[in-house]
Amino acid sequence: MANKVPKTVILRKQQKTFAQRLNSQGVAGYVFTALFIVGFLAFMIIPMAMSFGFAFTKYNILSPPQFNGLDNFKQMFTNDPVFWQSFKATMYYVVFSVPMRLIMALLIALLLVKKSKASGLYRALFYLPSIVGSSVAIAILWKRMFASDGVVNSLLQAVGIDCNIAWLGRTDTAIWTLIILAVWQFGSSMLIFLSGLKQIPVALYEVADVEGAGPFTRFFKITLPMLTPTVFFNLINQLINGFMAFTQSYIITQGKPRNSTLFYTVYMYQNSFTYNKMGYGCAMAWFMILIVGTLTLILFKTQNKWVYYES
Amino acid sequence: MKKILSVLLVALLAASMVFAGGGKEKEAAVDDGKITLNIYWWGNQIRNDVTQKAIDLYMSENPDIVIKAEFADWSGYWDRLSATAAGGNMPDIVQMDYSYLNQYQQNGLLADLNPFFEDGTIDTSKIPQSIIESGSIDGHCYALSLGSNAPMMVYDPAVLEAAGLTMPDQLTVEELYDMAEVIYEKTGVSTYYDAGINMMQVIARTNGSHLFDELAVGDETSMTKHWNYVKWFADAPSAISPDLLSEKNPDIVETKPIADGTTWNDFSFSNQYIAIVNAAGRPLTITMYPTTDDAVSQPMYLKPSQFFSIAETSKHKAEAAAFIDWFTNSVEANEILMGERGIPINTDVATAIKPLVDANSQAIFDYIDKVGTIATPIDAPDPAGKGEIEAIGKTTAEELRYGYLTAEEATADFVSRAESILASN
Repeated sequence: MANKVPKTVILRKQQKTFAQRLNSQGVAGYVFTALFIVGFLAFMIIPMAMSFGFAFTKYNILSPPQFNGLDNFKQMFTNDPVFWQSFKATMYYVVFSVPMRLIMALLIALLLVKKSKASGLYRALFYLPSIVGSSVAIAILWKRMFASDGVVNSLLQAVGIDCNIAWLGRTDTAIWTLIILAVWQFGSSMLIFLSGLKQIPVALYEVADVEGAGPFTRFFKITLPMLTPTVFFNLINQLINGFMAFTQSYIITQGKPRNSTLFYTVYMYQNSFTYNKMGYGCAMAWFMILIVGTLTLILFKTQNKWVYYES
Repeated sequence: MKKILSVLLVALLAASMVFAGGGKEKEAAVDDGKITLNIYWWGNQIRNDVTQKAIDLYMSENPDIVIKAEFADWSGYWDRLSATAAGGNMPDIVQMDYSYLNQYQQNGLLADLNPFFEDGTIDTSKIPQSIIESGSIDGHCYALSLGSNAPMMVYDPAVLEAAGLTMPDQLTVEELYDMAEVIYEKTGVSTYYDAGINMMQVIARTNGSHLFDELAVGDETSMTKHWNYVKWFADAPSAISPDLLSEKNPDIVETKPIADGTTWNDFSFSNQYIAIVNAAGRPLTITMYPTTDDAVSQPMYLKPSQFFSIAETSKHKAEAAAFIDWFTNSVEANEILMGERGIPINTDVATAIKPLVDANSQAIFDYIDKVGTIATPIDAPDPAGKGEIEAIGKTTAEELRYGYLTAEEATADFVSRAESILASN
């Protein structure tokens, strides 16, 4: 008998807390996010977990996957020259396009930070390529521009350079057409730089004026250090974007010539869907996650060496 | 209390939205005793329009059948078909391709059509046996061809005339080379030589063997010959430069180097003829793929352009077979389809349609007729791994044309990689 009393008390307490919980703000939050969470689980987490499982199988989509241990990875690293070609092409693309895009974005942001009547218009215009840039239409436009009888050669001829290069057909130039396309789409980084530039206290520049600092000193001693958190954010963002590039290679060059523009994602897609080697494609995806994750981690580890946080 | 109420309301709303879609579908499936067939194909706008028109006609003649059509482009088609196959809900009737037939059949996804031939649901009396065989594996037909197709070379007759040459009935590779030199000297127009999988198959066939049989055992005989030809043409002054070739990707009809007159010839299949002529915007002529001087067998063959197959999981196989019968054997259906999928396989139907089609289509009819008289049986359906081998063939051709590989290295490299792909599939 003595035991029963506290039990009911506990029960009442629980009922009370349950009612309280239902009434609290938190529940409404969970209900409102439920749709997203279901979607996130169904379309992100579960597929990712499945792809991790498939990475260790031979899976042609049509018949059930068969476990084959590390065979996919062994094949990738030891017996697939195209894998390394695509890896190299992607690395080359990222190493050049990401810094160039960031520099471009920063330069344009510096130009646009000054208030003028047309600055809103300019901002919109400079942002435009980023909206349309990864579309198929632009990819096809790019292909025409860099054709041997395209606009680029005509322009070069117009300024007196006798130029008849098949830009897309040469191993050394084809990838650069894709890099230039990437640099051209600097808009989103530019907007982030712009808002970063506006956060820098005007007082710092006023002091610099008093001290008689020139524009270069102002940029390297004030603007750039104060902007490093934004640079850091943009760098990580663009790095991940760079590794995920797909349309340009898929539509403009299709990996030609000699697989010099075959992006990792395109080769992954080909394996998964064209060659019906889904297991191999999943293994490639997870290797990419590993690479991108490692690079991001390295960047985060080094950030206290070069990123300046005011607080 | 108010809060709980509003939360519950939101949850209810969300739930009703989620389940509303499912409920509607169930209602549609009941459909007062009518039989619903799903049909799925890949193709272009013309094909989508004419096929839908034919389906509408069939439904008006057979009021108890409802046919739901879906279509996609080539690559989207196979992505989605494999997904439906994995989910066990393949459409009842699917368009099938020669290169995928083996894979789908091996996985038990396609229904055997022989019972429908035997009970007369599908009338095969006017269909050549070779056509039935082209969709058969081990004596059982799993896919009925919708039209015939043949490998072809297209060329610009104006260039040929300007160079003072005439095209023989069937070129040899050696004659093509000489022709290319004369054309280049007289007109400056370049020549394209196909290094891809179609030419590989043709060269193997001139040796009396089959490409994938050789590759499966690492036999280099035909490939040595093939890559030497490719090298020979690549080194000739008449050859289109590798830069230009890579830019004007011959895989894409619209940008093929023949389209803007960079070259005077190109290679493809006969059902691409109209598209190539449209892209070029000038008259082009069809001729056969080249054979070789020392050929021991005729390499030309007829290929089913595409098939209809019935899904093994279909609940209405007999009705699906009846539709396929009407689609292939009735003149009224083909008067709508107009040979868009290839020359009708029913010989009576083909004769009935021919006067109705335009000049370009008639050229294809004539070409298929001509090839039909000399054709030897087609290679067995492609093994799994063909797609990857084809891709490696393209890169190898590039390596060779850019001068990074000799013909011997190209042969050894290509054959060994193809062999290991075939072994792993």
